[in-house]
Amino acid sequence: MAASKSGINKGKGTFIVLYLGPALIIYLGLVIWPLIQAFQFSLYRWSGLSNVATFIGLHNFQKLAHDDVFWRSLEHNLALLVIGGAVIVAISLVAAHLLAEKGRSARLLRGVILFPQMMSLTVVAILWMFIFNPQFGIVTGLFNVLHLGNLSKTWLAYPPTALPAVGIAFAWFAIGFYAMLFSAGLKTIPDEVKEAAELDGAAGWQKFRKVTWPMLWSIKRIVLVHLTILVLNIFVLVYLMTAGGPDRATEVLLTYMYQRAFQDSQLGYATAIAVANFVVAMVLTFLVLLVIGKDPTEARP
Amino acid sequence: MKNQFGLQAMILASFTALAVGCAPGGTTSSKPTAHELAATGKPTGKVEVKLFKGGYGIGFFQRAAQDYMKQNPGVTITVSGDPKVWEELRPRMVAGDPPDLMYPGWGMDHWKLAQEGQLYTLDKALESPAYGSKESWRSTFIPSVLALGQKDGKQYVMPYFINIQGMWYDPGVFAKHGWTPPKTFPELLALCQKIKAAGIAPLTFQGKYPYYMIENMIIPWVQSIGGIQAVNDLQNLKPGAWQAPAVLQAVSMIDQLNKAGDFEKGAVGMTHTESQTEFVNGKAAMIPCGSWLHSEMAKTMPPGAQMAYFLPPVVPGGKGDPTAMEISIEPWMVPVKAKNPEAAIDFFKYLTSLPVAQKFVQEKETLMSVVGSDSGPLPPLLQSQDDLFKQSKTVYSYIARQWYPQMETSIENALTSLLNGDITPQQFCDRAEAAAKKTRDDPNIMKHHLN
Repeated sequence: MAASKSGINKGKGTFIVLYLGPALIIYLGLVIWPLIQAFQFSLYRWSGLSNVATFIGLHNFQKLAHDDVFWRSLEHNLALLVIGGAVIVAISLVAAHLLAEKGRSARLLRGVILFPQMMSLTVVAILWMFIFNPQFGIVTGLFNVLHLGNLSKTWLAYPPTALPAVGIAFAWFAIGFYAMLFSAGLKTIPDEVKEAAELDGAAGWQKFRKVTWPMLWSIKRIVLVHLTILVLNIFVLVYLMTAGGPDRATEVLLTYMYQRAFQDSQLGYATAIAVANFVVAMVLTFLVLLVIGKDPTEARP
Repeated sequence: MKNQFGLQAMILASFTALAVGCAPGGTTSSKPTAHELAATGKPTGKVEVKLFKGGYGIGFFQRAAQDYMKQNPGVTITVSGDPKVWEELRPRMVAGDPPDLMYPGWGMDHWKLAQEGQLYTLDKALESPAYGSKESWRSTFIPSVLALGQKDGKQYVMPYFINIQGMWYDPGVFAKHGWTPPKTFPELLALCQKIKAAGIAPLTFQGKYPYYMIENMIIPWVQSIGGIQAVNDLQNLKPGAWQAPAVLQAVSMIDQLNKAGDFEKGAVGMTHTESQTEFVNGKAAMIPCGSWLHSEMAKTMPPGAQMAYFLPPVVPGGKGDPTAMEISIEPWMVPVKAKNPEAAIDFFKYLTSLPVAQKFVQEKETLMSVVGSDSGPLPPLLQSQDDLFKQSKTVYSYIARQWYPQMETSIENALTSLLNGDITPQQFCDRAEAAAKKTRDDPNIMKHHLN
């Protein structure tokens, strides 16, 4: 009996290895190995232009710790995440509620809400560059019509407005996806819970605060983790709209990394920025999971 | 728990071992290693040429390769290119598999390649005879232009065509209003008033890429006020050079034009294409740019639009040479790991031989580094540039952007802030000086010196 049982286990083991092996090899080769390499490059002074490189240990990271531009870029990422994220979550929630309505406007909203998501980020960037264009953009035109011509600064070229302008384009792009997530989440809230709340006299804001918001916890978790990763990996939109300018007002970690790698020919240092970006994303993701780790509805007595 | 820690330590250790063990080899030094390319015998074999596909295209070089192969049956040349050719060349350089001859364009940091010993020095080749001639190859080049490819007296990169830096206007528009291109800064200020009165923006510029304004307005004005030494001091990272009176005055002139509303509204956020389109469409009367402007904009120029070059207006009473002309080159080079460097150089000798150079000048309407390539009747656009080039007693180049890209980024950012009215000209100078100091103090950045 014992022998045949271990035989089955052995067969099962081989079976598992055979099935998981190829995927594991691909994962190791395409994900883990590049990660190790990235870590490795960050320990070198390397231009990335030839195979000449000098091992300098953690020197790149020491330099990074004293690099004002790095910290400023990180601040911009975090500003986009916190302020932009709050706006995105708020608007997505409202949109999700509107999507749940019946009627023409909800149908129309369902039709257009994912529209920005279907565009490539390059197109989104160009579209918003047109909108903010000082010669023929809608924003400038609007200010001129309202006789606020003085306010119609070149949004993308004026430091105080550049980051908010990029943030607006980013929010416009991102909202549809999160609205759909919240919309799916709203559908998972059982009708009896909503009805019970209504019977208890909860309505409107109170119903949202006491019932809907807590019951969306798993969606919130997904949204925040996804948003964190998306904002820390933001590159195309910023690079095309402002290239990190004016005067670094919109510099984010990855545009700064790009400058160091391909303009300044410092691939080693650029990789150190990438590693730092990876660590920040990991830490923030863990924080989100820690804060929204438990189902609040189950925690109740 | 203990076991788990052991596992983590093991993973970390193997991670570090991997990291240290298998990385690119070799060492960097702040001095370039020279690999001299020996003079050539009869060229044979395959030659791969990779080119930046810019405004002038690569068709000329492909046709030249065909002609060369007819004259040299033992050689097979393939010429290819791309507008972002450096993206292909970078990994090939790292892998040790470069082409034999390359013109990698502005996306490749060629001085870093020189620093890392990746480029042949070409002095022996320059002493050898020119293509189909008995005189030395070196003697066929304009010396001041050839010098732009040298470091410590060694030739790392070769010039081909010459970019003339300066400013542009539309002669048709100017004639219609009875304006003339300004020769001095006060004339420029007065002209701007007239242009504004006609409802046109006097000046536009490539605000998203501030180096256009630095290279075509600020640096010429520094030269005009402080003389060529003031420009060389900037490029030599001399302490205090960016805070010199000449620089402060040149930057103040930009500030003055900006505050007077002489720059097109919103130009600070425009790309080169956007601002240059404004110029060719007659929305702005003048623009700073290099001489590639015409080939870059030819397809977008509306019928009837013209363009002509003028020297950046000089400052009366300045120490500089009023005829001075700023130029730049786009370098060609032979990587040390090229498989057939001798034949590559022979082909490049052919490209710089007088008949081929003359053909390039006529076809592309640009000046070249080869002596006599501008002889014969020139197209009118080029003729005016050529006249000024021949009259100029000083020819200089602002190469600091290529030498010290990090410093340049900081200076460009400071200029954007000045144009946004956030900092004063003095603060610009202080920020630029701080950037220069950072570069000066960094032992890993290879330093260049001009006399």
